[in-house]
Amino acid sequence: MDFEQSPDRIRGTARVGDERPKKAPVPVKIIVAGGFGVGKTTTVGAISEIAPLTTEAEMTSASVGIDDPGQAVTKTTTTIAMDFGVLTIDQTLKLYIFGTPGQPRFAFMWDDLIKGALGALVVVDTNRIDDCYPAVDYFERAGLPFVVGVNTFNGQMNYNLEEVRWALAVRDDVPVLSFDARFRASVRDALLVVLDQALDKAIRAKST
Amino acid sequence: MTYPDPDDPARPARPSVRPFLQSGPHAAGGYRPSPGVESPADEQTTTLRPFVITSGRTDGADPEIGMETQVTVVHAAVPMRLSPEMRAIVALCGEPLSVAEISARLRLHLGVTRILVGDLRAAGQLDVHVLDNDTPDPETIMRVIRGLRAIT
Repeated sequence: MDFEQSPDRIRGTARVGDERPKKAPVPVKIIVAGGFGVGKTTTVGAISEIAPLTTEAEMTSASVGIDDPGQAVTKTTTTIAMDFGVLTIDQTLKLYIFGTPGQPRFAFMWDDLIKGALGALVVVDTNRIDDCYPAVDYFERAGLPFVVGVNTFNGQMNYNLEEVRWALAVRDDVPVLSFDARFRASVRDALLVVLDQALDKAIRAKST
Repeated sequence: MTYPDPDDPARPARPSVRPFLQSGPHAAGGYRPSPGVESPADEQTTTLRPFVITSGRTDGADPEIGMETQVTVVHAAVPMRLSPEMRAIVALCGEPLSVAEISARLRLHLGVTRILVGDLRAAGQLDVHVLDNDTPDPETIMRVIRGLRAIT
């Protein structure tokens, strides 16, 4: 660990005379969830203004086979904590995008994570559609607005969106769309759909 | 004191322990737990370790302190003795910073960070900017939408 700040800078006393500390921005957040290796980190990285920050631990040998990387066999480590990015909307508003593991054994983290969240993007790989079931189940039960985004890795999809919708059996008002996690504009558009859902919910909540 | 010869084929196999631990205090002291109790001991060293710096607390983090919660230093705070981890947190928070960013930058476990930030808040060293309402209002969401549309 790197804690080598010199003693006189400790506690910010050396900053006396600085301008008043800036008012802290209001943080809002969107969750990016999905199975192992579906491109959550890529999604976060595409939209974030900073390189995604990660609390990462290498996948232990115990999770080999549990996580089943499927086609993405070249991936040797996985994010078992989470990675996130930041997008400064303006001086007083910051959007955080948290990528979170979709496996049910991490569900204990989700209660904390979705508190105050605007909504979620569930990333789906059509090769392994069932990987996203835990996330879909969870967000449905939690009443968090969410959107299903099929990541078109190589521009290819094994199933069309209607088939994905059928497989997931999500409500009619849950959008199912395709996007490419590698491209900023594509991720932006997917997040805008999430925000539309969030706005609908917030307006409904306000009018009741 | 005699150390076991690592090349001795007669040594009992202890498959669940990392190699350097096999020559550690257990081996030297002649204490050899049965393989059955080996794995919990091993787990302890990997999962509980970060919480040494929270004096063993694994929970009790303030539920108000979320991952995106903004934290700033209190410039007028009374100087006090702080652990290196706490000093590092305070040193980072000259500019508003989220708890998740603190955790990532210091490579501190997120749970540990939340506990330490809570402690520093209680000690008057940090301002934790807790939002008044948990549910996002339409106005804020509209601003995010406009901001997101503006990026290319």
